[in-house]
Order: sequence, then structure tokens, then C-alpha cells
Amino acid sequence: MNPIHEKRRLFTENRVVNWHEHVWFDQNGQLDEALCDALVEDAARTSTDVVVCSLPILAQKVTAEEFRHCNDTLAIAMKRYPDVIKGFAFVNPGYSKEAVEEIDRCVKEYGMIGIKMYYQYYINDPIVRPVIEKCIDLDIPILVHASKLNYHPEEQPFVSNGVHFAAAAKAYPEARFIMAHITGGGDWEWSLKAVADTPNVYTDMSGSVIDARVIEKAVAMLGAKRVLFGTDGSYLSCVGKILAANISDEDKKIILNNPDFERYLNRANA
Amino acid sequence: MIIDGVAYLGHWPFRKLGYDTAAEMAAWMDRASIDKACVSSINSIFYKDVMEGNRELMTEISAFSGRMIPFAVINPAYPGWENDFKECFDVLGMKGLELFPAYHNYKADLPELKKLLEMAAAKGIPVRLPSRLVDIRGRHWLDTPENLSQDEMEAIVRLCPDTDFLLCSCGTANLAKRLEALSAQRKGRLFYDFARLEDCYYNHSLPNLLKTAGEDYVVFGSCSPFQYPEVQELKLDMLELSEEAYEKIASGNLKTLLGL
Repeated sequence: MNPIHEKRRLFTENRVVNWHEHVWFDQNGQLDEALCDALVEDAARTSTDVVVCSLPILAQKVTAEEFRHCNDTLAIAMKRYPDVIKGFAFVNPGYSKEAVEEIDRCVKEYGMIGIKMYYQYYINDPIVRPVIEKCIDLDIPILVHASKLNYHPEEQPFVSNGVHFAAAAKAYPEARFIMAHITGGGDWEWSLKAVADTPNVYTDMSGSVIDARVIEKAVAMLGAKRVLFGTDGSYLSCVGKILAANISDEDKKIILNNPDFERYLNRANA
Repeated sequence: MIIDGVAYLGHWPFRKLGYDTAAEMAAWMDRASIDKACVSSINSIFYKDVMEGNRELMTEISAFSGRMIPFAVINPAYPGWENDFKECFDVLGMKGLELFPAYHNYKADLPELKKLLEMAAAKGIPVRLPSRLVDIRGRHWLDTPENLSQDEMEAIVRLCPDTDFLLCSCGTANLAKRLEALSAQRKGRLFYDFARLEDCYYNHSLPNLLKTAGEDYVVFGSCSPFQYPEVQELKLDMLELSEEAYEKIASGNLKTLLGL
């Protein structure tokens, strides 16, 4: 018997919310339905109840028309699996007016429950302020791609790390930021230390990196309530990390279904 | 039973691992229900004289000799490596060899490397060849700026067709595909770990490795204590393998490789 088998009960016996996943376009720029179906199958086989998705464009330049199409496509996935998939609207804050309008549209028309930004701008860039203020008005969380790249930083020149999040969070203490994928490949010790004293910065534990003690250290420095379960394309690695972490079962249950985030989930898909 | 084919012991200077001693490692293995682990010396990566670390390792694990299987770290670019080889395998009784070209600053074209691999093959010593120990993106600024590329891994494998290799800590599904034809032509066997692979909607690299390399050539390797071993256990569990296939990957293939 594989020794991990029994530990999987943590997932089967508790509600599990995955706060970082994606649906994607197919080759024709439409929802990749097969990939979307496979994601929901992964959720089922790992006993994940809810998967919060976005559809970002991984590029420096993203137009307003493009991010609207991303969100229209995500909405199709939400309708396909209304009990499983919740949506975060993707916007490029460089288009301030259009981004603010799009957030409003996605929340009110599609029932999206947060936003996702990529690395088009640092999160504390002044150009992002209208977007942050809109999210405060709507009471929705702000998930932002994050990493502290010690090697090859030129690949993502405006990617936010913990220092940028701490600055934004101090400027907007009423906003709720999610510093994405603490195990997404960057210097996670850097980012944890940077945001330790900013209580409105959360992190999700998605990403392919499976460094031992990362979950323990995140919980020790932020508290379990500031750590969210997520996978971001590394589904089994992330389920395995939470099973492996040497923290209490109570803390694991908080990470798997953070009570502070429950209110967003109660907003039904449109 | 689980035998971990990729594990380390010692002090990592760039991040606290927290399991530096053999006693701590044994407790770590207990938590993850790992029966035995093939360990090499982290210190030998950094000491100029790798033997200081190899000897430390043998002393450290002496109370756990049934659980910890020692792998020697040898630097063929440093004088005295042939004597190091003899001491490790003729005197200390180590069971495997591990190479760190990116840390020890040599490439596949180093003449001594070919000779070292031939010596290992002659004695039936398997060679563990990791691409990296930690993810490059968050790596410490004083750490090596390189992973061992798959080009280099292939070049090293090609140096001696009789040597058994355990190729690990990289995208081994792609590597196995790349080496598939070569593997069929050589006497030495190529084994792969799956620590960097996935099996989910977005990435099916683990089943792809099994399809390419076959269940007889995939081994459990966690890169402990750098990484959580339970992640690898979960991946194996989710594959829903036959009992026979599970046993091979969890321990049987390493028993074959190491003659246990």
C-alpha cells in the first residue's frame, strides 16, 4: 500500500477550494473544451470542490479587446461547469478605463469573483490604482502573477515580487491581494519576508516547485489564513505539497478552504 | 516498500533544509514512510576535496547503514580522483557514484570523465546524474547559474556505453524520448526518476515517461531533503498502477540497479 493513500483523506473529507487555475484557448481562439473538461476531471479525482480560474494572455502587451475576449471565453467555461468553475476576470491595467469597465462587466454580468493581472505592470505602479480601487469598491480579491527571479529576470521585466505587493498593500490596506504561486519558481523566501507584515497580502501555494518546508515557512510567517490552496497547472505536485507539509491538520483545512474567502464563493455564477 | 534513489545529506549553504544529519534524515524518512534512501554528500559539492565529504557521509550514516545507501561524489576535474574512486568503492564500500559537472566546472569533453565512467562500468557502479538540485528561478546568487542541460546529459551518457545511469531531477520524459534509440544500443541501462514530472490536465509527462522508458526503468527519487518526498508518492498513487508495476518503481528497479 502506498503510504500516501491514507493521507488523501484530507481532501476527500474536507471542502477544497483551488484558488489558482486556468482555462485556455484552443487553436482557434475559442475555449479549449477538452482541456477544460480535463481540468474538471482533475478536480474530481483529487476531490477538489471548486476551481477558481482565469484566462490570461502571457505577454507584455495585451489590448482591451483581447482581455474582453479572454473573459467572454472564461464565462463559457463557468457556464459549462457552474458548480465547479468560478472566474477571475483578466485585465491589463494599462488600459485603465477599459479595465475598470471590464471588471464591472465581469462581476455583474458573469458573476466573476475576483480579478487576475499578469506581468504587464508592477502591482504598485500608479497606473494600476484605478483597478485596485474598483476591486475595493466591488469587494473582490486581486490575484497577481508573482515571482522573484534571481536568474533571467529579463524574461519577465515587470513581474511583481513581495516588495511590490507590500508597497501596494500599504497604500491600499482595504484591498485584498493574492501574491500568486509562492512555489511558482522564484525566490519564495524573499517574497514571504517582504509581505510578512502586510496582512492584506495573501499567497497561493500553486506552482511546480516542491521545495520542502515552503508551506511550513509560509504558514509560520503569514499564518494559515493568508495561504490559499492553488495548483496552476501542477495539480498533483500541489496536492502532494499540502499533504506533505509538517503543519497541523487544522491549518491544512484552513488552506484548503480559507474561511476569509468564503464570501466570494457565495456569489453565484451569472 | 519505498527506496528513494535520489537523496542527500549535509549542509546546503543557500537555504536551511533542516535535515542535515543522518538522524534527522531518518526521522524525515519515517514521516514519509521511506524505507531506504540512496544518499550522497551535499558537502562534497562544495568542498574542493570531495573525499572530505564522502568520509563524513560514511561516518554520519554508520548508525543507519541498513537504511542509507551511500553514493560517492567524485570530481574528475580535480587531482587525485582515481585514488578517490578506489577509496570510495574499495575501502568505504560505497554503492553508487554521483557527478556534478555544473558545480565542479567541467563538461562532457573532459578526458578524465570518460575514464571515470569506464571505471564505474567495470565495477558495476551506477552513476547518478542530476540536472539540478534546486529550481534555477529562485536560486541563490552565489549558486551555479546553470542546470546540467539535456545536451550535456546525453553527451555524458554517450561517453561510455557500458555504464548504468540514473538520470534525474529534470524533464526526464523528454530526456527518455531523446535517448530512446541510444538506450536500445547500449549495454549500460538508463534509469529515470520522475520528481519533475506531472500527470494532470495540463501536463502528462509522467505517463509519457512510463510509456517511453517502461516500468522497469523508472525509479522513485525525491531529491530529499530539498523537496517533499510525499509529492512523488502521490504521483505514484494516482497512477493506479498494478501491484507489480508499483513495486518495481517504488523499490524493485533500484534493487536491480544496486544489486540489493
